[in-house]
Amino acid sequence: MHHPLAVALRHNRKRARDHFANPSGPRGLLVAFEGPDGSGKTTQRKLFKTWLQSEGYDVVTTKWNSSELIKPLIKSRKALHVLSAEEFSLLHAADFRHRVEQVILPALWAGKLVIADRFLFTGLARDVARGLDFDWVLKLYQPLLWPDVVFYFSVSPVTSGRRVTATRVPSFYESGQDVTRVDDPVESYQQFITRVIREYESLALIFKFVTIDAEQSIHDQHHQLRRLFRDGEQRPWSAWNTSAVAEWLTLAGGHRE
Amino acid sequence: MTRLRSRLIAVDGVHGAAVKAAAGRMVPPAARRVGGGVSDWDASGLFEQLVVAQEQAGQISARTLLLLYASDLAFRLRWEIEPALAEGHTVVAAPYLETAIAFGRAAGLPGGWLRNLLQFAPRPGTRYYVDRSVPRKSHSPEGFVEFGCARLTGHPLVKRQELAVRTRAFLVSAAKRANATRASR
Repeated sequence: MHHPLAVALRHNRKRARDHFANPSGPRGLLVAFEGPDGSGKTTQRKLFKTWLQSEGYDVVTTKWNSSELIKPLIKSRKALHVLSAEEFSLLHAADFRHRVEQVILPALWAGKLVIADRFLFTGLARDVARGLDFDWVLKLYQPLLWPDVVFYFSVSPVTSGRRVTATRVPSFYESGQDVTRVDDPVESYQQFITRVIREYESLALIFKFVTIDAEQSIHDQHHQLRRLFRDGEQRPWSAWNTSAVAEWLTLAGGHRE
Repeated sequence: MTRLRSRLIAVDGVHGAAVKAAAGRMVPPAARRVGGGVSDWDASGLFEQLVVAQEQAGQISARTLLLLYASDLAFRLRWEIEPALAEGHTVVAAPYLETAIAFGRAAGLPGGWLRNLLQFAPRPGTRYYVDRSVPRKSHSPEGFVEFGCARLTGHPLVKRQELAVRTRAFLVSAAKRANATRASR
């Protein structure tokens, strides 16, 4: 005899497939924007959202490190500069998981289009740049939820550094001073972002990101985004996401029948 | 010159107060005076802060709770456990790995994910478990399992207190497999 939890998980795997794979049902779309600081993601995300809304999409936005529950925990510890690489990684994975359960999956279930301004790949790139093991970090994010498309805004470390430092001094963790041990935040940022971009470039290949040349003009990038989105809009739901949805339905208070 | 001999002892169990009491008995006052001691959960204050935040910010899942437990454990290792061991002292970690793994298993999470999550923590030299069920009513839960059962509002097993019972069963079964010693209450 199987435990009711196992039975419920199995039942909800079928529910997830029936709900998302039904061509006439509310499909939902998940679009992730990834890239280093200073790559212009936020500008493009706002333009993209406005365009999608004008096209009739119901759009929900979620940003990195924005869970109402976990963000205050991270913020107070960042201010004290007391986080180790592991703690930094685990807290951001907790923030991500809470948003997956509270924001992203409910919106997808309701057939909305979710724009994620940074996704789990941000955690991967930064944590591995901090010296953590890739497999350990990736597994923290299980059960994995794969976006329908990941737009990667590619810039060089020099461009990223120039854009970020033009208006402000990067913060302690943003500049990676916890790992570089360099006193000057600008110099530390340059060292750290070089490592982060190297990790992003690898992730872009492994996970087949759609790369946008973020050194182009804002106008050109936006029109490229529209075209690339149209090309991928009709792709089928990824069966890889079944476990993530089933767990949400069963264990995280997801959509009730 | 006296050679220092460090020891990491794990005490796990679902009844927070009983785990704390058992751990306290394992560190004699003389050992405490020279730097040994008990490493309790929530040394980082994450869960205390969570209680305040959760009132406005909605429910939490078992997976998110365990990510926070792992972060708290990383904090305990860095500031309490590893420094004491490096100086040759005895440290009692109560609770440690098995309580979290049993809670996660009971809540329906895969064992492989839980073991990966906590793989950064060193294995204890000696393991004890406290075989006692959680109190029926607890206004201020002292243990991680009691805290988790009180917080998992969306979980299908919480209403019937079955989660705590299942956690205890997983814990006892793991303890027996590992030949852990049953701690006196």
